[in-house]
Amino acid sequence: MATTAQTSVTTTVPKRRLSERQRDNFFAYLFISPFFIIFGIFGLYPILFTIYLSFFKWDALNPMKYIGLQNYQFVLEDSIFWTSFSNTLLISVMGTIPQLLLALVIAIFLNSAFTKFKQAFRVMFFMPNITSIVAVALVFSAIYSNNGMGNWLLDTFGLDAVAWNSGWWGVKIAIATMIMWRWTGYNMVIYLSGLQSIPTDLYEAARIDGAGRFQQMIHITLPLLKPFIIFTVMMSTIGSLQLFTEPYVFLGQSGTSSLRSEGITMVNYLYSEAFSNSFFGTAAATAVILLVFTIIFSMINMWASNKLGGDTE
Amino acid sequence: MSKMKKALMLSTAAIMVFGLAACGSSNNSSNNASKSNSSNTSNASDSSSNASGETVELSFWTLGNTNYEDLANQYMKDHSNVVIKIQNTGDQTAHHNNLTTALSAGSGAPDIFQLEIGFMERFLAAQDSFYNLNDLGATEVKANFLDWKWAQASSVDGSFQIGLPTDIAPTVAYYRTDLLEQAGLPTDPVEFSTLIDTWDKFASVAKQFTDKTGIPFVDSRDLIYNAVRDQADGQIYFDKQSGEFIGNTNPQVKKAYDFTIKGIQEGWVANYALWAADWTQATNDGGFAVLSGPAWMLGNIKSNGPDSKGLWRIAQLPEGSGNWGGSFLSIPKQSKHAEEAYAFIEWMTSQEQQLQTFTVSGLMPSTPALFEAPEFKDFTDEFLGGQASAAEFASAAERVAPIYYGPLHDQTDSYIKEAIQNVQEKDADPQAEWDAAIQKIENLIKRS
Repeated sequence: MATTAQTSVTTTVPKRRLSERQRDNFFAYLFISPFFIIFGIFGLYPILFTIYLSFFKWDALNPMKYIGLQNYQFVLEDSIFWTSFSNTLLISVMGTIPQLLLALVIAIFLNSAFTKFKQAFRVMFFMPNITSIVAVALVFSAIYSNNGMGNWLLDTFGLDAVAWNSGWWGVKIAIATMIMWRWTGYNMVIYLSGLQSIPTDLYEAARIDGAGRFQQMIHITLPLLKPFIIFTVMMSTIGSLQLFTEPYVFLGQSGTSSLRSEGITMVNYLYSEAFSNSFFGTAAATAVILLVFTIIFSMINMWASNKLGGDTE
Repeated sequence: MSKMKKALMLSTAAIMVFGLAACGSSNNSSNNASKSNSSNTSNASDSSSNASGETVELSFWTLGNTNYEDLANQYMKDHSNVVIKIQNTGDQTAHHNNLTTALSAGSGAPDIFQLEIGFMERFLAAQDSFYNLNDLGATEVKANFLDWKWAQASSVDGSFQIGLPTDIAPTVAYYRTDLLEQAGLPTDPVEFSTLIDTWDKFASVAKQFTDKTGIPFVDSRDLIYNAVRDQADGQIYFDKQSGEFIGNTNPQVKKAYDFTIKGIQEGWVANYALWAADWTQATNDGGFAVLSGPAWMLGNIKSNGPDSKGLWRIAQLPEGSGNWGGSFLSIPKQSKHAEEAYAFIEWMTSQEQQLQTFTVSGLMPSTPALFEAPEFKDFTDEFLGGQASAAEFASAAERVAPIYYGPLHDQTDSYIKEAIQNVQEKDADPQAEWDAAIQKIENLIKRS
């Protein structure tokens, strides 16, 4: 605060000579200012405007109308919003937990001395992450359609067809596998780098002491990998709260503009409020609620990781 | 040494700061410059009634595949004082969201905007942001266009006109002759149209067909529902006058719902989701016999079903026709050259230019006088076995009734379609699903 006052003095009274220290401060602030200016325009202003907007009724074209907390009431009383909330949690659990386990298995497999063509495998597993997500969703919608490959496969095993586009679990499984396919490779790379950072002499010492492969895994690999596991869990949790494109493209395929309640996530809900219905006020209120949820989940995550990984502090 | 360093730092800092400032302001200043220039020129041209050498620049945002660039070039040749700058977008939603942003920001909107019917209600509710074309002379050309098409871009009382009509998209029934033959049904378009000239007859033919061949008659629940829904009398889900929700009492909506459910229960509505990969495949492989869709759907059928070339024909839908798609040309209030822009769009939407658009890009004209033109009437399509397709679309166009949609039409419609999907895919109870959909719609309306 004091330093900003000083800089303002320098601009208003240019004749006064600056002390060495003041000038240093001035230049320091000058050099970091581009970030703050850009953040202010593209980060802070939209956030503040969203909060302001959440108290108004607005269709983006006609004048805004103040309605107090009514937008929050609409959203919180809307059963579709709560469906979108539980969907988000369910899909993220279904997509994240098996994904992280699989990523860990693949990483260990790729890190072992027996595997050939490691580089090629690494590239192949990472590839889904950089594939266009819309293309991914289109390919998956060919698998998960009424008469598509998924049901054909179930049929050959004599199982009943699943309503992938409208079933309560069908939609969620379809979306969760999409997430899994896309992010397993990414998390695998993180685990792999974690595995490679574990010094080999620990394993040698363990082997001399007569520890088997499984014991090495439990007592050396997993404990030393803990910070990496915590990192991936946190990133996946935050990422899955913002899940949007997969359900949007997958369910958008079925011809209607809205998202079916089986697959709608919180961000989908927000998006359709703003851009299908032109209710920018309720959309802003949803964004604020989503912010609160994200803060709560991040705090739970931080608390849990502090408990688990006390050594990483 | 340290002094030099300081000086260097100072100068680089100064350069950076001024560089940033320049970046920020140069846009503004050039905008301002062009704005002030353009307002000057418009003043000048107003006073000298366009005769002087002052040029007027019109920006024109177009959507999708059209020949509007060619038309603009022709226009510029004849009007040396007008320069038209076209910016084309392929993505409908982005195209209209860009305009929404420009309008709410107060600057950046084009002089002429191609407005698609699906987004009409959003902008019709913001009349202050557009010129009323009736004030610019649109009342004089009104008689040239199809009534229902004109009414789509008018306020309910008709005093405000947001756009001049370009292309239309009347709906017809596309059908496969090879499959009808299998079921022993007539394949001639006139005979088949007569055979299905009411929805009741349509349903009994459908059932007969499916019982005989085992193949579903129509392609998807969504399209058959649309076909019946769009024949509503003036309004669908929302009241034309008051804007109130009437979908739960409108007999045509219930008729469309019940008809689709009946088809699902009798097994003649295929369980394909519209646009899904298996739907595309079935178009080629003969997975269904009839697809009800607008004129532009022919393009999809052609690309989805290359092997079915020559097997398709067009018949008229029972009891009337609907419309799905088509555009208008509007002039946002931000335009400084409304008169020049209007002169251009009036020329663009005139018969001659619409005929060119039809022959080059295949877009259906909205001026009924053209329907008699030989180039139009005698147009045949090999994909349809040499049927005179344009004439079929034209007679469908004359059966379309004007309809009021309302700003929440799409969202409301998708709740009803969700109900139908639940009945088809999850074997849900039709009445319970209908009630649930109405409940969701009422919740939606509460917040508008």
